[in-house]
Amino acid sequence: MVDERTIESILIADCGTVFTKLLLLEKVEDSYRFVAQAETLTTMNPPWSDLGVGVLQAIEQLETITGRTLYASGRLVTPQQGLEGVDAFVVTLSASEPLSLVIAGLVREMSLESARRAATGTYTDIKAILSREGSLNSPQETWSRTIRDISPDVVLLVGGVDGGARRPVMELADAIALAASMLEQHQRPTVLYAGNVELRPHITKLMGDITRVEVVDNVHPTADTEHLGPAQNALEQYYIEERMKTAPGADTLMAWSRLPLLPTAAAFSRVVDYLCRREEHPGRGVLGVDAGAATTTVAATFDGRSYITVYEKGIAYGPLTWIKERDVAALLRWMPEEMEEEELLTLLYNRELRPWTVPQDPRELWVEQAVVREMLRSALAVALPTWDVGKTDAPSGMMPHVDPILISGGGLVHMPRPGQALLIALDGLQPTGISTILLDVNRAAPALGAVAGLKPLAAASALEAGTLTSLGTVISPVGKARPGEWVLRMKIAYEDGGTLNVEAHYGDIEIWPLLPGQRAKLHLRPNRRIDVGFGPGRDGHVQAIGGLVGLVVDARGRPLTLPDDPDRRRRTLHGWIWDVGG
Amino acid sequence: MFISYSIANPLTRVRIPRRLPRPGQVLVHSGEHVEPARVVAQTVEPADFRIIDVARELSVPVKKIKPYLKVNRGDTVAEGDVLASRGGFGGQVCRAPIAGSIVGSGRGRLLLEAAPQPVHLTALVPGLVAEVLPDAGVVIEAIGAFMQMGWGNGKEAFGVLRVVVRAPRHPIRPKHIDASSHGAILVGGSRLDDETLEQAIEMQVRGIIVGGIPPSMIPQLEAVDFPIVTTEGVSTAPMSQAFFDLLRSLDGREAAISGRLQQRWGIERPYVFVPMPAQSGAPINPESPLVVGSRVRVLRGPYTGASGVVSDIPTSMIQLETGARLPGVQVDFGGKEFALIPFMNLERLL
Repeated sequence: MVDERTIESILIADCGTVFTKLLLLEKVEDSYRFVAQAETLTTMNPPWSDLGVGVLQAIEQLETITGRTLYASGRLVTPQQGLEGVDAFVVTLSASEPLSLVIAGLVREMSLESARRAATGTYTDIKAILSREGSLNSPQETWSRTIRDISPDVVLLVGGVDGGARRPVMELADAIALAASMLEQHQRPTVLYAGNVELRPHITKLMGDITRVEVVDNVHPTADTEHLGPAQNALEQYYIEERMKTAPGADTLMAWSRLPLLPTAAAFSRVVDYLCRREEHPGRGVLGVDAGAATTTVAATFDGRSYITVYEKGIAYGPLTWIKERDVAALLRWMPEEMEEEELLTLLYNRELRPWTVPQDPRELWVEQAVVREMLRSALAVALPTWDVGKTDAPSGMMPHVDPILISGGGLVHMPRPGQALLIALDGLQPTGISTILLDVNRAAPALGAVAGLKPLAAASALEAGTLTSLGTVISPVGKARPGEWVLRMKIAYEDGGTLNVEAHYGDIEIWPLLPGQRAKLHLRPNRRIDVGFGPGRDGHVQAIGGLVGLVVDARGRPLTLPDDPDRRRRTLHGWIWDVGG
Repeated sequence: MFISYSIANPLTRVRIPRRLPRPGQVLVHSGEHVEPARVVAQTVEPADFRIIDVARELSVPVKKIKPYLKVNRGDTVAEGDVLASRGGFGGQVCRAPIAGSIVGSGRGRLLLEAAPQPVHLTALVPGLVAEVLPDAGVVIEAIGAFMQMGWGNGKEAFGVLRVVVRAPRHPIRPKHIDASSHGAILVGGSRLDDETLEQAIEMQVRGIIVGGIPPSMIPQLEAVDFPIVTTEGVSTAPMSQAFFDLLRSLDGREAAISGRLQQRWGIERPYVFVPMPAQSGAPINPESPLVVGSRVRVLRGPYTGASGVVSDIPTSMIQLETGARLPGVQVDFGGKEFALIPFMNLERLL
């Protein structure tokens, strides 16, 4: 085994639902540099049914790119020997089927909501929520039938604050036990109990002989407190054991790797934590979003507390279900040209049938962008209530101040122009105040999060060495003004001594030059009703860092609203696309 | 990178998995020859059940219910049979709400489960049982023409193929479906509409193969009881010429058609299989590289559904109308029509 101090090269595989990405990092002097990457289709499902096939295909690509032998005699060459092989191999995985989950509890706004939030902390598919609410009689037959017919991996049973309700929780437990007893032994769900602490022995006694029961802290121990961590950890661990480790080909990858397999969302969250520690912006958190094919991950850190939300819909698998739950008009409203519902649906169906394909003409691209916007909005709507932002500045009912914002995932990274990725992120996330937007252009963030468990220095230096590309600094004023009215006056003092005095107007996106790596000192003077992070009407100085797009003022207002009139809305959307560079 | 593929092959050896929807019993042995209608495995659907609160119905305390019960665990009862009764003046009777067996009792309640409904899995394709998947199904090896489809409505059938249009761009119309279509698998061209579907239902066709379907029709198509599959997914594009030519060459032959579609986790693609009397057929090699001359089909963009051959593999990136620059190939669609298509939007036809 190679000693951690001597790791000269690291190969990282991120096996997503559609694509498998490989990254090669190498130590150059005292820091690690990104050397090359390769991408291929994930091969977990038929006809291959082996994750290793795709990883090997990507390794072959890397060998061609780098001229370095990485795989020989049927195994990964490790440790590195001269210029051949690598010292370490790390795997993150989100390709596995999510845990199928049934949640059972008492009150929708309390324990059931907490349970739902706990479930979104990892890759779960909530098949049903069983509730006692609104029913005088116990619908045990319906509950039992639901669980038996779904045959979930896990039933998360919650309810009753500690020392609180007993009988209704036991009725639910009874129904679960009955359903489990009607299933074959190997089909019986694991019961994760996270309810009234006093009922633990009764629950274990009732169900212990029938199925596996695991007990964790109550997700809602008192009427006004929530405690999600233990239930989240238990679900994540169950996902790792039952889904990741049993994925076809995972055993081969685990044999090559020095670290256990890590869920991609958890690895991504580590990078967001790292950025938070690095930036140390008082009054601001850090946000990361990963727009994947099957899920949208939101990771945030506030005052040292980390939050992960895995929204169960992505850009390829999800829009059609999303439309059934909402309305197709919510997607059509983002089209800068007229589009019939039939055309939109045809594109979405085929995207789901062939999730690896890319938009080939502008209309297809607009549909893709609309989907990413709405997936981000929906994922954020699930994530926001789980955050305790502490001392972070947070305009009422809006996104708290976060800086930087890391955007990752094929839905954002595959945009043909950086301005498009930026615009989608602004429309989907609606940040407030001042934020730097970082694009994970090589989709390396989850991989580097995994590396952090093996070699924190490698992850940190690869991040510092430009793996994340800045799109620019965005100032998002909050407050109402009349269309066209000035909202912000700004003096931009460039490092070379040049200055620029500019004005931003309500309803517009304004962009001024600030190149990648270039810094400038900004003096921000908002209109008296407008807040840019210092309080309404208050001015202040900030350092801004440039990016591929530049220095951006998003003066379109928060919350962002689109004109109702279709023609006006399309003109507006065209204008915004034009503003960010097409 | 891997280029995805679809099989559209006139003579090949294929291994077709046949899986039960839930664990069950396999009824054939490895090496056995099976015909399409042969039941190769069976299972049961979860049965209906009732929890009957006998103690409450008879107004008897839970601990004292035993003497009143007229049935025991394991007993079979018919609907209306007495499960428990309390005699005397104003006595009460508790009857079985459904026919079934008593599978559990306790705390004053009975658990009554109806007889489970059997589910039979047929071979669908004639061939040899190449592998038995314990409790799950079988893999059948067969020789013939095999075509993977883009979309399907989940149903399956075996019948005679009848090509009813003259070109892949021609849609199937009600006039193409008459009494002679009864029991046939019809091959149309570009798309299907409501009127044609109604006519097909009335004439009791056994299946339909078309180029595409409009998304608005999907709920209707999923509700019909015969298979409907498309070559191009959900689309208004004509059927790919390569698929149409192959299907036309098989007109009048018996075919198995499966509309089962599982997009994630244990992927299943719809297919059409036409058994051939040949003794040998080369298996498909999905690893075959993409080279100049490879048959391909376009999956997205203005050329969706068009099939052709690779005429050049440029070393530089190709620029799309969206502004994206990606690796790709030049495809010759015949008739001096060429286009640059990114690898990601192509599939090999094997």
